[in-house]
Amino acid sequence: MKWTDSFRIVWRNLWRMKLRTALTSVGVMIGTAAIVAMIALSLGLKDNAVKSLENFGNLTELPVEPMYWNEERNEPIPDDERKKLNMAAVQELKAVPGIAAVMPMKRLYEQAKLKVGRREGYVELIGVDVRESADYRKNDIEKGTYLSGSPQEIVIAYGVARELRDLEKEKREERRRNASGGRQSGGGGVEYWGPPPDMGENQPTLNLVDKAATLIVTREYRVDDEPKYEKKEVRVRIVGQLIQAEGNRYQDMRSVYAPFEMIKELNDWVMRSRGDEGSVSPRSREQANQQNELVFDQITVKVESREQVESVVKALKEKGYEVWSPARELETINNFFFVIQLVLGGIAAISLLVATIGIVNTMIMSILERTKEIGIMKVIGATVFNIRWLFLMESGFIGLIGGLAGLGIAWGAVELVNFLGSSSDVMQTMGMGFGSSEESSRLAYIPSWLALFAIGFSFIIGLLAGIFPAIRASRLSALQAIRSE
Amino acid sequence: MKEVNHSYGTGKIKVPVLFDINLHINQGEFVALCGSSGSGKSTLLNLLAGLTKPEQGKIFVSGEEISRFNENELCLFRRRCMGFIFQSYNLLPNLTALENVELPLIFSGVSGKKRRQKATEILNRVGLEGRIDHRPNELSGGQQQRVSIARALVNQPSIILADEPTGNLDSKTELEILALMREMNRENGTTFIIVTHEQEVAERSDRVIYMQDGRIVEKRTRPA
Repeated sequence: MKWTDSFRIVWRNLWRMKLRTALTSVGVMIGTAAIVAMIALSLGLKDNAVKSLENFGNLTELPVEPMYWNEERNEPIPDDERKKLNMAAVQELKAVPGIAAVMPMKRLYEQAKLKVGRREGYVELIGVDVRESADYRKNDIEKGTYLSGSPQEIVIAYGVARELRDLEKEKREERRRNASGGRQSGGGGVEYWGPPPDMGENQPTLNLVDKAATLIVTREYRVDDEPKYEKKEVRVRIVGQLIQAEGNRYQDMRSVYAPFEMIKELNDWVMRSRGDEGSVSPRSREQANQQNELVFDQITVKVESREQVESVVKALKEKGYEVWSPARELETINNFFFVIQLVLGGIAAISLLVATIGIVNTMIMSILERTKEIGIMKVIGATVFNIRWLFLMESGFIGLIGGLAGLGIAWGAVELVNFLGSSSDVMQTMGMGFGSSEESSRLAYIPSWLALFAIGFSFIIGLLAGIFPAIRASRLSALQAIRSE
Repeated sequence: MKEVNHSYGTGKIKVPVLFDINLHINQGEFVALCGSSGSGKSTLLNLLAGLTKPEQGKIFVSGEEISRFNENELCLFRRRCMGFIFQSYNLLPNLTALENVELPLIFSGVSGKKRRQKATEILNRVGLEGRIDHRPNELSGGQQQRVSIARALVNQPSIILADEPTGNLDSKTELEILALMREMNRENGTTFIIVTHEQEVAERSDRVIYMQDGRIVEKRTRPA
């Protein structure tokens, strides 16, 4: 028997009992629609969650810290067993498979003042390893270039330009305001009102790139309990400015990145001056010791790809480092959605089970109805295989019809949910959409694999349901079948 | 070349139907199986068709022992070698005459165009031109039986088994159908084995086999 012929016969039989076919496939339809819609929804929600996490920070950059707490023994790890973020640690991290770069970082222990022309402001000075970080930080440069390795270069964060104030000018203006306010107590003095000094955001951010600047570090020491201050000035050149980082903490806004050597020198200077004095706190002595063996404040590792993040995190934890990564949040999200999918999938599976029983029932009914027909077909040359095939296909098609209809309904539901979601800003209330990008406004979506899976699955369900009836049909005795009326 | 060697003996344990039947039917013969109700003639036919299996004994068709075939082999054997004509026609009511005749060819895997041509040809041959697109309930009894004859013949089987083919027809139509079957018998050399209790059928056969209480009581050969 030819495929096309068998499909024609199957189709004719289904068409003959269209109402029954339709009703039976409604069962499959509901099950499939439930499964597809729910998977689509959870996929969409998960995507949104992942996207909003990605807005938080680059998923492949992980800050590494020594582990402070032994989770197995549930006790803090003593100081001497704790990992130190020194050069040895850098080497160890570099050896971990999947890590592309290790970027150590050291802060200046004192606040530094950056002065460009007449403007000045406090910044956080951070020393970085130029060679290690250059490849990855280059992309974050908005203006200018990244550190090239020459000693007196710095790169500023996006917020630094706004932080700088022309103190002289502000003082002058304040004086003028006060003066004019005193002289003309009525109206008319409006023209003298300059912009309020704090409205930095309204000012056009001035371009600091390629400007010469001065870093001013102040150290404090005491002589006979009298605080004394000493200043050290370093001439630097601003070679680049970073792009605005999304959702970042305040301190990152006014970071200034400089080559590691410069920070070390400055730190040495700050520490030495403190160490010179008799009244050194134990903490600063410790810091001074650490200084000698070169301990970093933070090490950031760059992982080669997102897929490797989890394995890297695991490897680092085994080595005794603490890592915070959005990827770990991702894992939690994954688990959460896995549970949701299990529950929803369970509901859908039950409805599909019921639908399967419905198909079996329908097929047995139609076999009873068509007993004679089956007998005739057997007598005029249909083989056992032919009969089985016909009935298997018939029930498979019932499943397929139900699957297609269910997919259609699920698609409609997804569109509806997305429409409602985008119009009523459910996303914002749910806190899912930090980013306002177009894609993240989709609450649910049906990927093509899901559509194919749904169709294939419903067809297979139909086939499975058809096995028993088909065998029954093929076992019918031709003679008795013919005699039955 | 073609010979139906039918040596057969059965004792159904509960209700014995056939006893020690030995029968040989030659290729191209037109044989009538006569006997009263319950004499076992229909059972004999079903055994020949492989629709029932003998409890004892062997059945050979074309030198093959069909009594040892399994279900699937029997199906294939019937498709290849046998055509059936029933008293109640047994056409599929929702198919047209043409489609009914095409059905055996569909199972044999004949392609659509060839199938249609063959079926139309044979329907014309049995005198149903212009009726091929009618459904069985739009046809008279005689026409329905012609369709089923066409269906039996379309695979060009070597044997046609007919179970009271004229039982539901009036005598005029009966004669027409009989004449048609004889014609087919002569033209194609197809063996016809017809179960009947109508005298007219027996009279027009090459050989008449009378059965009574599960035994063959008389074989009468009509001189050709």
